[in-house]
Amino acid sequence: MRIGGYQMKLEKRLTLSGWEAALISILAIIFALALFSLLFILAGINPLFAYQEIFSYAFVNPFGLPLTINRFIFLLLCTSAFIIPFKAGLWNIGMTGQLYAGALCAFGIVVAFGGKALNNPNLPPLLVIPLMLIGAALGGALLGAIAGLLRGRFNVNEIVVTMMLNFMTFWLVSFFIKEGGPYMKSGGEGESFELPTSLHVPLIKDIPFMVFIALGFALLLYYMFAKTRLGYQIKGYGLSPAAARYAGIKTFMIPLLVFIMGGALAGLAGYHYFAAVPGLYKIPKNYGYFGDLAFYGIICGLISQGNPIAAIPVALLFGGLSIGGRFVQGQLHMSFGVDYALLGVLMVTLVAFQFFYRHKIVWKKPGKEK
Amino acid sequence: MVLEGIKRGETVLEARGITKRFPGVVANDCIDFDIKAGEIHAILGENGAGKTTLMNILFGLLQPEEGEIYLGGKRVKFRSPLDAINLGIGMVHQHRKLVPAHSAIENIILGHPMAGNILNLKRAEKEVQELCHKYGFKVDLRAKVWQLSEGEKQVVEILKAIYRGAEILIMDEPTSALTPMETEKLLSSIEAMARDELAIVPFITHKLPVVLAISHRVTVLRRGKVVGCMETASTSEQGLAMQMVGREVIFRLERAEVEKGKPILQVENLSALSDKGFLALKGVSFSICEGEIFGIAGISGNGQRELVEVLAGLRNAEGGKVMWDGKDITHASNLERWQMGMGYIPCDRIEVGSIADFSLVENIALNYYFDDKFSRHGIMDYRNLRKQTEEMISEYDIATPGPETKAKNLSGGNLQKLILARVLSRRPRIVIADIPSQGLDVGATEFVQNKLIEAKKGKAGVLLISEDLDEILSLSDWVAAIYEGKFMGILPAEQARKENVGAMMAGLLQEEHQL
Repeated sequence: MRIGGYQMKLEKRLTLSGWEAALISILAIIFALALFSLLFILAGINPLFAYQEIFSYAFVNPFGLPLTINRFIFLLLCTSAFIIPFKAGLWNIGMTGQLYAGALCAFGIVVAFGGKALNNPNLPPLLVIPLMLIGAALGGALLGAIAGLLRGRFNVNEIVVTMMLNFMTFWLVSFFIKEGGPYMKSGGEGESFELPTSLHVPLIKDIPFMVFIALGFALLLYYMFAKTRLGYQIKGYGLSPAAARYAGIKTFMIPLLVFIMGGALAGLAGYHYFAAVPGLYKIPKNYGYFGDLAFYGIICGLISQGNPIAAIPVALLFGGLSIGGRFVQGQLHMSFGVDYALLGVLMVTLVAFQFFYRHKIVWKKPGKEK
Repeated sequence: MVLEGIKRGETVLEARGITKRFPGVVANDCIDFDIKAGEIHAILGENGAGKTTLMNILFGLLQPEEGEIYLGGKRVKFRSPLDAINLGIGMVHQHRKLVPAHSAIENIILGHPMAGNILNLKRAEKEVQELCHKYGFKVDLRAKVWQLSEGEKQVVEILKAIYRGAEILIMDEPTSALTPMETEKLLSSIEAMARDELAIVPFITHKLPVVLAISHRVTVLRRGKVVGCMETASTSEQGLAMQMVGREVIFRLERAEVEKGKPILQVENLSALSDKGFLALKGVSFSICEGEIFGIAGISGNGQRELVEVLAGLRNAEGGKVMWDGKDITHASNLERWQMGMGYIPCDRIEVGSIADFSLVENIALNYYFDDKFSRHGIMDYRNLRKQTEEMISEYDIATPGPETKAKNLSGGNLQKLILARVLSRRPRIVIADIPSQGLDVGATEFVQNKLIEAKKGKAGVLLISEDLDEILSLSDWVAAIYEGKFMGILPAEQARKENVGAMMAGLLQEEHQL
C-alpha cells in the first residue's frame, strides 16, 4: 500500500519484546473504545462523557472501586486456573464447576463446625477460615483431577469433561441450597445459609485479603514457569508431548497435575465470591451468574498469552469495565447489556491486534524500481 | 491448460533471474532454470543452498523480488500455490502434508475441484487406480494414511498432485525417507511419468547415485547461485559432490579399530507390539559391547521402530529381556535408562528429538533437566544450562545466532547436531542412533558419522539403525539384517557385503547359524 511518498509494508516479526507487546495491547484497547463509542453516539450520548463515567466509577469511585477489585480477584484466580493447564496445551473450560465445588466444600467445613445449626455461632476464625480455604482448594482440585486423570490416563478430551462437569456441579449446588438441601437457609428462599459473622474475613479498606492470595499465586505461577523443573516439564509437554515423553517426562502425570493446580485456584475463586466478598457471605439464588463470569478467565488467559503476570492488568481491566459498563447502563438509561457488549468488543479487538505480535508495519521510501 | 500442445522436448517452465532476499541472506541470487516436457531435471544442493526457496517460488508459496517465470512461453505470476496448481504445477513435500486419519483416496481428492460437496469416492478411486496402474504405483487407497509407510505416503502425495492435473511435478527430497527398494520402485515410476511427458523436478541434497540414475539434466546450487547446469551423462558422483560442497568429499570412512570391552547391553528374545496391535518385533537377541558399533540394516517398518522404542523405555516389551551390565532392565522407565547411561537419538528430530518453540538452551535441557548439576531442589539452573549450550554450539559448530534462538530456526543439519551434542555430551555408555543421517546433506552426514565413530572410540557401544546400507557397512563392527521383526542374520563386519546383507533385508536369505 502506498501513502504519500511512502510505501507501507507488512513484515514478519522475529522477536517481540515485553514493552512492544504492552504497547500493542494498549493500542488495541484504545481502538476498541473508539469502536465502541459508535454505540454511545447512536444512543445520543457523548462517548467521552460515557467513558469518563465508566472509568471513574470503576477505578476511582469509593463504591465502584471495591466492586472492581473484588471482581478482579475473582477473574485473576479464574485466569490463573485457566493458564496452568493452558501451558500444558490443555483447555480448562471447567472453572465454573471447579469454583462451585470449591464453594460447596468451603461451606461444608462451616456445616461440619456446626455453623449452620446454631444461630450465628462464634466459631474460631483463625482455625475455620484457613480450613475453608483449604477445603475450597481441595474441592476445586478434586473436580479438576477428574478431567486431568481421564486425559492423562485414557486420553479423554478435557474440554468435554470439564464442560460436562460444569453442568453437573451447577445442579449439585442447586440440590445443596434449594428447599430440603443440606445447605438450605432456614425458611428456604432457594439460598444457602449465611456465614456466621465470626467467619467474615478481615478487610483492608473494604477489600478481602484474597487479593494477596490472587496476586501471590500469579507471581508464584510466573516463577514456576520461568524457573522450576516442574514448570519446564509442563511447558515441554504443552509444546510437544512426544518430545516430553522422549525426555523422560511422565506424560501421564502432567495433565493430572495441571488440572489439580488449576482446579484448586478456581476453587479459591469460588471461596472468594461466596464467602469473602462483603454483602454476600452465602451462595445466592443467582449463583449461576458468578459461574458464568468465570468464562472471562479463559478470555483473559488467552489475551495475556498464558503469561501469569500479564494476566494481572488484563483481569483488572476486564473487572473494571464490567463493573463500570453495568453502572453507566443504569446511569444513562441505556438498554441492557452494555457491559457485555463492551467486553465483547474489547475481546475481539485484543485478539485481532495479536496479529501485530507476529507482524509489523514498516514504512519505506520506495527506492528506484527499474 | 497452459501446457496443452507442448510436445516432448519443448521447454514448459522457465525461470529467469530469480532473486529472493531474506533478512541477512540472499537465498536465490539471479537463478536461471528451465525444464522441458518429459524431462527429469534434478536440482542439487546442500541444505541452505536455496533449493527450498526456489521451489517455493516455483510453487507460488513465495514471490520473487526480481525475475520472471514463464510457463509454456507465457509470463505468469503466482500469488499463491492455488495459481500454480491451476496452471498444472504439483508439488510433493518432504514433510508429508496429509491428513493421517483419512484414507489415501480421501486425501487424494481433498481440494480437488471435482470433489465439490458430494464425494464420489468410487469414481475417484477408479480413476486413481488407473493412474496407479499406468505408472506402477502400489498403494491401498482405502487404507488410512497413518497406517501407511513413508514410501506409500509419498505415493499418495504424488497421486494427489497428478490426479489434480499436474504436468510439472516438483519433488522435495523424493528419496530421503525411502528404503532402497521403495527408492527403486519410485524411480521407475518417475521414469514412467517422464515418458508420459510429465516434467519432473526433484530436489536432492544427498544420495547422488539417485541423481545419476534417473535425471536427464542436473542444476547444482551453492549459496543461492547456480554453479552449473549440465547433462547428467557427462558428470560423475565425485564431480557433482565437489561442485555442491565446494571441496573434496571423502566417501569412504576410516574404520576405527577399538579394543573390544565387556558387554553392556544384552537383548534376549525381545518381542513387541506395534501401535496397530500386531506383533512387529518377533524375538531378537543380540548384545553390544563397549567400543563397538552394532548396525541394524532393514527397510523401515520391519520392527526397527518397536525395537528402538522398547530399548529406550518408550514401549512395553511383549516378551523377552533387556539386560544392562547383567541386570534386568526390561521394565525400567526411560528416565531411569537415561540416568543409567543410555543415550537415544530419535529418528524424528522435529517432533520427538526437539521442541520447535523452545530455545536452544531449553532444548538442551531436555536431556539435562533431571540432573542435579542443572536443577537443584526442583529449580532449574538456566545459567549453567546456557553455558553448557554455548560450549556445545562452538564444539559442534552449530550455525545459529545464539543460544536463545528457537529450535525451529535451525536447519535440519544443525538441529541434528544439536541433538547429537545433547545426547553425546552426557557421555552415554550405549548410544541408540535411529537413522541419524536421514535427510541430511553430505557435509552433515559426514559429521554425524564421525561423531558416532568418536563415541565408539570413547568406549561407548553404539546401536545404529539405518536404511542406508552403505552407511551401515562402512560404520558397523557387526551387521544385523532385520526383516519382518526378525534378524535374518548377524554378521561380523568382515563377512558383511552389500549382496548378502541386501538379500537378508529383503527376506530372501537367512543365515544358517544364528548367533
